Amino acid sequence: MAELPLAINVQGDYGYKVVVVDDDNTIEEVIHVAVDQIVGVLTPEFPAGTVLRARLHGTDSPLDNKIIVKQAGLAKMEALQIYAE
Amino acid sequence: MALLKMEDWYDLARETNWTADYVSTDELFPKPMSDSFDIPVEEWEAFDEPYKVTFRDYVKSQRDKDIGAYSVKAALARANFFKNASPHWKALLALHFSAVCWAEFHSASAFARMTRFSLSPGMRNMATFGTLDEIRHSQIQIYFAYEFLKHDSVFDWCHKSSKTENWIIISLRHALDDIAHTRDATSAAIMLNMGLEQAFTNLQFVALSADAAKCGDHSFATMLQSIQTDEARHAQIGEPMVRIMVENGKKKEAQQMVEIAFWRMWKQFSALSGIGMDYYTPLEHRENSLKEFMEEWVIGQFGRTVEALGLDLPWYWHILKHDISTFHHANQIGVYIYRETEWWRPIAGVSPAEREWLEEKYPGWNETYGKCWDTITENIRNGNYDKTTPVAPPLICNMCGLEVTGTAGDQWQPVNHQIDLDGRKYHFCSEPCKWIFELEPERYRGHKSIIDRAFDGTIGPDPDDFYEYMGQSPAERGVDGYDFQWIDGYDHGDDTSREAPKRAIG
Repeated sequence: MAELPLAINVQGDYGYKVVVVDDDNTIEEVIHVAVDQIVGVLTPEFPAGTVLRARLHGTDSPLDNKIIVKQAGLAKMEALQIYAE
Repeated sequence: MALLKMEDWYDLARETNWTADYVSTDELFPKPMSDSFDIPVEEWEAFDEPYKVTFRDYVKSQRDKDIGAYSVKAALARANFFKNASPHWKALLALHFSAVCWAEFHSASAFARMTRFSLSPGMRNMATFGTLDEIRHSQIQIYFAYEFLKHDSVFDWCHKSSKTENWIIISLRHALDDIAHTRDATSAAIMLNMGLEQAFTNLQFVALSADAAKCGDHSFATMLQSIQTDEARHAQIGEPMVRIMVENGKKKEAQQMVEIAFWRMWKQFSALSGIGMDYYTPLEHRENSLKEFMEEWVIGQFGRTVEALGLDLPWYWHILKHDISTFHHANQIGVYIYRETEWWRPIAGVSPAEREWLEEKYPGWNETYGKCWDTITENIRNGNYDKTTPVAPPLICNMCGLEVTGTAGDQWQPVNHQIDLDGRKYHFCSEPCKWIFELEPERYRGHKSIIDRAFDGTIGPDPDDFYEYMGQSPAERGVDGYDFQWIDGYDHGDDTSREAPKRAIG
């Protein structure tokens, strides 16, 4: 279990932010950590029922929300986009 | 004593070169300081500056300029302009003086290197004037800025900023170190004079001077004009240097130097002049947008100069044309929301009337960057001031030191150019920033952005550690320049019964 800074851009935000997560967090938890810090501050709330996903910058396929950061092989300062499915 | 006419002696004086007797020429002009690019010295001696001036005439004209600038200042000193100026203009003055004063002083060092180590005597002569110019620019600007100290301690940063590790200063210092202070005299002349001065100083000094005059800040306007006339003269050192390089088969090298320097300085001017023009200049005195200035003076005029010298337009010209409508808007959001990390009092610059102007100048602004401002504005309207500053810090570009940004809102388009090198991820805000890094990774890889420093233990874990590292006491942390009163403009619509938001400060 270790802290891991990730570069994250939440849909609608103007730029990347650095968000610290735990490498035992699931991708879903990473999404929650990022959304808590950005949504309502720089972007509006997503409509109720929106499913949020994360993908590596430059890719189209979403990461599995259930896997943990370590399993996903995310490196320190990995760039992720969080977006509405 | 009768004086010779200038044309009778000028060329002889400027063409007289050293003949080394006691040391070798290589020792007199060591390559790290005087790169000849294998061009024979006779070719460098052909340096022919377009603007010729004697020392006597130089001193006279500088004296006249100083008299003009200082007398306007003295005459206006009683006018209390600053005390009555809007927070918009105060923020612009603070940003200008704290970024420019010391940069000018540092430039004197770069010109002094050209004065000593340039291969051409004519260029050494011109660079001597350039050195004196830059000393004057730092002195006059610090003098003018310090006039405001009695009204506002922010102006302490005109001198202090360069000695701090504030993230904005790190960004500017890294760019100037790269193009001017860590290059040999030949390269510095091309990069500083062509890539910075010829390309951009019009933007900061002519455009800003015009805005200052419209705002009634005649003292500032006159001072800026007096500086720009110097810049226009000594910036011309770059042109003959490029011409000599191109004519002697070194176009590729000259092209690359111009491309690196131009992009590095574009990023700095985008933040400094872009925010100044499009957000900090009071709306009633605003005329042209950054985009319009860039299109006419830089993409147009500078582009033509580059081609006339035998170079090509930089390969990233198409990226620049997009960047002039985007990068500074994104960075303005960051500068505002992370205002506590800045020493001046940032302006949001997004009242309803200002948004209308932004939408007119940048169609689509409301649906992109405006969307972030919608959320910020709503939080202020609702008194949720703690939500106007995010917990998460921004990702900083490992080249320009500014935020890694893309397009916001409905047209969300994240931008991030990355490199993995020896287990470290480097992030860049743009393809050209990444390209510059890849040209010479050994040169750039060791530099750490403020965010890298925060996460590698260089900066302590407490928030106060961060500010202390950046040299900011609690009194030196930026707050909204209007104490959020700009939000009142949003209360004049349908919801007139709603109470004005509770003020966070003051």
